[in-house]
Amino acid sequence: MSRDIREVVRDEPLMRDRLLELLADGPLTVPELAAAAHMPASEVMVWLMGMRKYGYVFEEKGPGRLFEYRYSAVKRP
Amino acid sequence: MDYDALVVGRGIGGMESALKLGDMGYRVLVVEKEASVGGRMVLLSKVFPTLDCASCIATPKMAATAHHPNVTVLTDSEVEAVSSDGGGRFLVRVHTRPRFVDLAACTGCRQCEQACTVAVPDEWNGEMVSRRAAYIAYPQAIPQKALIERRGTSPCTDACPAGIRAHGYVSLVRSGLYEEAFQLLLEATPLAATLGAACYAPCETVCTRGELEGPVAIRRLKRFVAERHYATADGPGVTPGEPNGRRVAIVGSGPAGLTAAWQLARAGYGVRVFEAGPEPGGFLRQAIPAYRLPAELLDQDVANVTALGVEITTNSPIADVAALKVEGYDAVLLATGTPESRPLGIPGEDLEGVQAGVAFLRDVRAGHPPDLAGKRVVVVGGGNVAMDSARTAIRLGASETRVAYRRGREEMPAHRAELNDALTEGADLELLVAPVQVIGDADRRVAALRCRRIELGEPDDTGRRRPVPVPGSEFDIECDVVIAAVGLTTAVETFAGALLGAPPAGPVDERTLQSVIPWLFAAGDLVTGPSDIARAVGQGRQAAQAIDRWLCGERRGLATVPDPLGVVDRAEVLARQKSHSRRESGLRPVNVTPRPRDFDQLEPPIGEEDARAAAGRCLDCGVCSECGQCLPACPANAIDLSMRGNDRSLEVGAVVLATGYRIFPADLKPQYGHGRFANVITGLQMERLLAPTRPYTSVLRPSDGKIPMRIAYVMCTGSRDESVGNPLCSKFCCMYSLKQNQLIMGVLRFAEVTVHYIDIRAVGKGYEEFFEQSKGMGVNFVKGRVAEIRETPEANLILRYEDVDHGTLAEAEYDLVVLAVGVQPNQDLGQLLAAQGVAFDDRAYVDEVDEDYRPTATSVPGIFVAGALSGPRDIPESILHAGAAAIQVAAHLESLKAPA
Repeated sequence: MSRDIREVVRDEPLMRDRLLELLADGPLTVPELAAAAHMPASEVMVWLMGMRKYGYVFEEKGPGRLFEYRYSAVKRP
Repeated sequence: MDYDALVVGRGIGGMESALKLGDMGYRVLVVEKEASVGGRMVLLSKVFPTLDCASCIATPKMAATAHHPNVTVLTDSEVEAVSSDGGGRFLVRVHTRPRFVDLAACTGCRQCEQACTVAVPDEWNGEMVSRRAAYIAYPQAIPQKALIERRGTSPCTDACPAGIRAHGYVSLVRSGLYEEAFQLLLEATPLAATLGAACYAPCETVCTRGELEGPVAIRRLKRFVAERHYATADGPGVTPGEPNGRRVAIVGSGPAGLTAAWQLARAGYGVRVFEAGPEPGGFLRQAIPAYRLPAELLDQDVANVTALGVEITTNSPIADVAALKVEGYDAVLLATGTPESRPLGIPGEDLEGVQAGVAFLRDVRAGHPPDLAGKRVVVVGGGNVAMDSARTAIRLGASETRVAYRRGREEMPAHRAELNDALTEGADLELLVAPVQVIGDADRRVAALRCRRIELGEPDDTGRRRPVPVPGSEFDIECDVVIAAVGLTTAVETFAGALLGAPPAGPVDERTLQSVIPWLFAAGDLVTGPSDIARAVGQGRQAAQAIDRWLCGERRGLATVPDPLGVVDRAEVLARQKSHSRRESGLRPVNVTPRPRDFDQLEPPIGEEDARAAAGRCLDCGVCSECGQCLPACPANAIDLSMRGNDRSLEVGAVVLATGYRIFPADLKPQYGHGRFANVITGLQMERLLAPTRPYTSVLRPSDGKIPMRIAYVMCTGSRDESVGNPLCSKFCCMYSLKQNQLIMGVLRFAEVTVHYIDIRAVGKGYEEFFEQSKGMGVNFVKGRVAEIRETPEANLILRYEDVDHGTLAEAEYDLVVLAVGVQPNQDLGQLLAAQGVAFDDRAYVDEVDEDYRPTATSVPGIFVAGALSGPRDIPESILHAGAAAIQVAAHLESLKAPA
């Protein structure tokens, strides 16, 4: 990760809406979400896990033995 | 004696000693600097070699410690001083930091955490995920209560004379909470758009980001939230307080008067504002040029005030304030500002073409501009009114605009941006000159301004160098118009001079702004002399609070100017990060061009995307932004931002040091890439990934969230390594790595795990068997040091390593690398203990001077050590050691009771 972790984490509130918007059309893996957001996957990982911790997204296992996790936005009122 | 024993540190060692002593009937105080008891053990996944759940073992001890009748726990606390009384007892001073949460009221519901707008790395999860400034350390924390991380008041908030929580609204904008940001502004003043357009923004002057590539555009964000609100909402969204039957008259509708009216109306007062001019706004409307503050913005702000039922009576100059009292107002606030220009005081000032600066600006804003087309204008003065006058003259078509000032450019009191913009627009400076006479022609019209050259002498009372006229240096500046902008003064003599005396040093109480007549208050520039909008707003708030207190005896819901914590050190803010990436504001600059001919607002508005990006540049200096979102979110009303720390002085009979160890900072081995390569993590981070309360969905790669299939362990990172000054074995890295190997193979059934080791130290009951079990599960062991780690474009990792068994150097590619970091002595209390004569060994661990016969005893009688503070120990050893310390303490305490 090229940026200091504190700097990356600080951007989570800034990036949250954008990531949720991208997830509105369906679940995505971290690399897919990073590509859609044009952001580094390592930073998207930090933001997404923070959003997961605070109830904005949830995960589901992808298909196959070597599955990947896909993330969806939690529907909020 | 307050306590029989003081235990410093709350890890497994500290808890064990405290519990044992408590069980023996001794009164024990546990002091812990973190927010919870429990130490590191509770953060582990499992313990070796039994693979029992670490939390399941630790949490009962944590609960027992917190609830033991003989044990008192102080979290968020540090021992700041220890001294022996000479008789075997100790005097200690303990400082407790404020949590800003009432522990008795907090239910641990985490609603504050959900509402908090500041994200910081979660140190309890190896900084792999965020936490909030308002948080509960971890799910098993005891006490299970929130705290708010506040490192101090952010510089921007601290610098705002209006008491606006600048960091708060910036944080809210960053989170997309624009209406909440607007409401936060309204807590201070109704003039959100006005300040957003025309404030000189002292917040930006001190912004820590200014030490990097430039300050956060704090003022423009204010304008953004105000304009967004006004574009979508009808009214301020604030309801006036329940009427309290009291009436207040406010004379003057400038920033101080409008702010006071707003605050008082919110608190339930009946308020009427008397304005001498035809429209409300005072100086804001009459003297600030429209290119800085369009009338529409001010109108929207004023509408906030009237929406609360405040009546504004225009064209109503007040000559007799006593009559207002007779009319039935309970209090009167004078906030008439400094509407008059000081005269030049030189011959010829009565000639046609000489005009006072404020009167000139007022005429222009009122739609009656003088004809300056093709005329030569000299503006006398160096302040903001002078700059506004010059820029206005340029817009009115003056062929030449000179600003004559008696000092140098650096001494000019005008805001730098104002000065620079004036120069860009075409004003010329005539510095170090003082006017001595206005020269007229035969028709008594201005023909020239006679000036004298000035030299700067010694500094005067203001610290600025005193202007000293140069004899015989007179010269004439040919001109058609002279605008005098050498200072502003009040018009107080028109109605209340006898009451207030001579401003700005009028006899009002500095704190209460109350005059010698109890019902009469004064605020704003009338009291302070010419200042700026934000200061006047601050005065208006202060006056409203004072009037409220005087009339009702207590605060009745008025939003108070925050009591600052003490401003946070900007150098400390910058030092929190190892690096800062460059981040330009991206906002369109102010459109200042030469020779403008209109009064259109210069600064373009900013859109939502730009606003959020601009807010995203904030460094969160104070950590907590004081955005206030946690306050309404807390169902228990437990948040108390006024909380402050406290100090306790205590006498204790013995001291147990149990502050544990420090983890080796892995970035001190740069060849391993920790901190640079996302997929190089430490053993403690892997512990968190394996724990049930893990930060990720599973054991995943930090670079992309994929499941790692090839995992390498690099043993002895920072231990047994002279290159980092630590030749000692950390003792438990081998075993925790083996434990993690087994757990990984349970979680990721197809993963390959390889351990690069020097030798495996499995010394303990069942440890060797545990090692063999790992081998049996398929863990690969490669004997030899790892030389370096490189990263591939896919964020995989190439390990270059020595293979001792095969006598080769080799490379292998992995998805994830775990550095089995060692431990270092904890020197947090080093100086404090050394001053008391506590000895340390040659590796800076606390020395047990007679380890064979009196284990845990330090070089100072009555001070004992428990756990890894005296050397690397695993959990069972630490518990045993702490038990021994408890027995030694008991013996010491009993010896104090024995007759001499």
